[in-house]
Amino acid sequence: MTLPRTTLSTRSFASAKSAGVCRVGILALALALTGLAPAALADAEGFADGAFAVCAAKVLVCEEEGLAAIDQGVLLVRDGRIVAVGGVDEIAIPADHEIIDVGDSWLMPGMIDLHSHVGGSGGLNDMVFQVNPGLRVGTSVVTGNANLVRPLAAGITSILYIPGSGTNIGGQGVLMKTHETEFEDAVIRNPGSLKIAQGDNPKRWGYRMNRALMNHHIRYALRQGKAYAMRWQEYEEGRASIPARHINLDVFRDLYNNEIAISTHTQYFQVVLATMRILRIEFGFPTFIDHGSFDSWLLGELAEEIGVPAILGPREVMFPRPGRFDTDGRVEGSAWGFQKMGVTKIGFNTDAPVLPQEELPLQSAMGVRYGFDNSTMDAVRGLTIVPAVVAGIGDELGSLEPGKLADLVVLTGDPSDPRTTVERVWIRGETVYEVSEEVRLW
Amino acid sequence: MVRRTRLAAAFFAATLLAAPSSAQDLAIRCGKVLSVNDADEIFSPGLILVEKGKITYVGKPREYPASVPTVEHPDGWAVPGYIDLHTHIHTGGWGDINDMCRNVNPELRAAAGMRPDNRLMQVACAGGVTTLFGISGSGTNISGFGLLYKTKTSRSFDEAVLANPGGMKVAQDSNPGRLAGNHAFGRSRAGMGWALEDVCNRALAAVRQDRFDPSLEDLKKVMTRELPVLIHTAGSEGVINTARMWKNLYDTRCVVSHGSFDGWKAAPALAEWGMPVNHGPRTMDFYSSRNGRINGSGAEYVAAGVPTFSLNTDSSVMPQEELFLQGSMSARLGADSYQMLRALTIHPAKTFSIDDRIGSLEPGKDADIVVYSGDPIDPRSAVLNVWIEGTNEYKREAGNQRF
Repeated sequence: MTLPRTTLSTRSFASAKSAGVCRVGILALALALTGLAPAALADAEGFADGAFAVCAAKVLVCEEEGLAAIDQGVLLVRDGRIVAVGGVDEIAIPADHEIIDVGDSWLMPGMIDLHSHVGGSGGLNDMVFQVNPGLRVGTSVVTGNANLVRPLAAGITSILYIPGSGTNIGGQGVLMKTHETEFEDAVIRNPGSLKIAQGDNPKRWGYRMNRALMNHHIRYALRQGKAYAMRWQEYEEGRASIPARHINLDVFRDLYNNEIAISTHTQYFQVVLATMRILRIEFGFPTFIDHGSFDSWLLGELAEEIGVPAILGPREVMFPRPGRFDTDGRVEGSAWGFQKMGVTKIGFNTDAPVLPQEELPLQSAMGVRYGFDNSTMDAVRGLTIVPAVVAGIGDELGSLEPGKLADLVVLTGDPSDPRTTVERVWIRGETVYEVSEEVRLW
Repeated sequence: MVRRTRLAAAFFAATLLAAPSSAQDLAIRCGKVLSVNDADEIFSPGLILVEKGKITYVGKPREYPASVPTVEHPDGWAVPGYIDLHTHIHTGGWGDINDMCRNVNPELRAAAGMRPDNRLMQVACAGGVTTLFGISGSGTNISGFGLLYKTKTSRSFDEAVLANPGGMKVAQDSNPGRLAGNHAFGRSRAGMGWALEDVCNRALAAVRQDRFDPSLEDLKKVMTRELPVLIHTAGSEGVINTARMWKNLYDTRCVVSHGSFDGWKAAPALAEWGMPVNHGPRTMDFYSSRNGRINGSGAEYVAAGVPTFSLNTDSSVMPQEELFLQGSMSARLGADSYQMLRALTIHPAKTFSIDDRIGSLEPGKDADIVVYSGDPIDPRSAVLNVWIEGTNEYKREAGNQRF
């Protein structure tokens, strides 16, 4: 099979990998820098502003490939970014760093949900036109709204807030933080994705279309969008005059340049096959399977071959439904299935409020219950580095690697165990939640 | 107390069926056996012997006849089959659980909608849930009488059912008022309270006069403590009203079911009056504190010392097979994991006085046994094997996982 121009190994999608390789170098550099910190920034106790070290019984580093966890680890943070991570005997804590020893608790990166509808005041489905690539859900963002309070206390620091699945192209999602702050600070990337919905919902809510017409709508829009993006590229390379702006098609420039991906509401074998054939193979856009429920996992081999990750949920299992699916009565876990077929990027979502946003980690637990192999902490990676890389923000978020933003969670144990509770959350090095006797939000 | 035990014994002697004779003798060897008996004995490793559907031995490994078939789970944890006292899956779906022409329906029985061995029961069994109290909904104040049954493969109604009627379902608070509509009598709490007291008084009068009344015969058994009554109630004012009516006024074998939102604030009174609580499907309260603090209501009831605290799913509000998860989430919010295992097994059995047959792994009891791959309150553990009355009803092998 010949693949189109784009692959997932481009700047924004693969840089998380290389960060692990140069870890030692960055560490050495960082330690050299901290020695030069000007004394004027130090407070009364001699600590530099925004510089601290977290010591934890287990540090879930969550590198995409490689280091999963460090027992008895230390993490250094300065000015909102991670400076170093390692074992207690590997890392020298500079004198101007406040030491936060969390004892037996664990430390992990802030969790990321790529399928959420609770980032704002709604207005998620404009259903007059069948394709709406120009609509931006960012217009309804309410930072730190009431529905984000418990998720933040659950350690979920970033979400992809996306339009609904009422039409084939619902519009543009926005990657945002869950804490209360100014809009510009809350937004990580806008647009954060293009939401496409294939199968079921747009058909149910539309005007008696079937899959053939829906896919025609999608292909028509994608063809226009790709041509538009190519014209802009020709202009930028000095090979053509400036094209007319078309706000319905601007988002395709981001897609064409691999800045963002298409988050695709898709499930069932034939719908997922259409997703991969049209969005990825025919047009070459970065695409991920969102939902991937029922028998979708049977296509895992093709998904891995063409670089289509799977972000699974809120339904993660296929129950035996005689007459509709060809099964022998067993429950099949989506994560188990995709993993069995060799898919390396498997993450989890809640489709909040379909499932409560704060219960994202429980999705990974249920994945393990249904057979997903967690021997190398892939359940935790599916809540952190995998969604970060899939959304194109893996160079900034998703793992505890030097250089990344310090979105940190301290919790009493394995995040996939629902009995584990969250004790403290930092976003970009700032404490945004701290549990106490009086206040426990989740 | 003496009277209660005697009546319960008489009732079960009359209505319970003998275990099927098809069950084979069996030995189960496990890495851990959690007996959940009164001494909370844990045998590690442990052995369970089963004869004719009943448990004959639980304890440390010992000699037994070589002819007895043995199942080995060296890493498995054996626990008693789970019991859920608040469920609606007996019809195989959501249909047929609310008759809403009148607000009190003590003559109705949920058994009319029972479909044994339906698909929801099969999955429930695969989740380790072996005994259910199947009841009508909360659309009316008294929706009727429920049935106690097991989730086993059964060729007939009689094989599945432990007791019919197994108890009464009452709904106070919100749902019956909401579903009654704007102009129906009994929409307010005051109206609901009047309707319930009125029908209870009529049943008591029929008992005193030894008068047969076809619409009140089952309710008379509630008023004389022969049958328990499970009461949908929530919120602190709802829970305390329920306890005042059903415990203090009528002294029935009453059980608070749900007890959600800030219902836990009534827990000290319930503990003092000895009223059992069957909690769920919502086991947390984030409404009643002014600073947004979340309270684990399960942990609060346990801490207050209510008798036989148990958990429910209100299936299919929560999937029946996820009963254990009610324990996990209660543990998240402050309850002790092992106490939550009691809340899924021996506590509901004691609540309905069926602990002579089920609820723990003890000689003489039904061989309702679940083997997990690990800690049963951790959702990452899978159910490996389920026996009901000594018959293997679910076995998770490669390619046969049902939950």
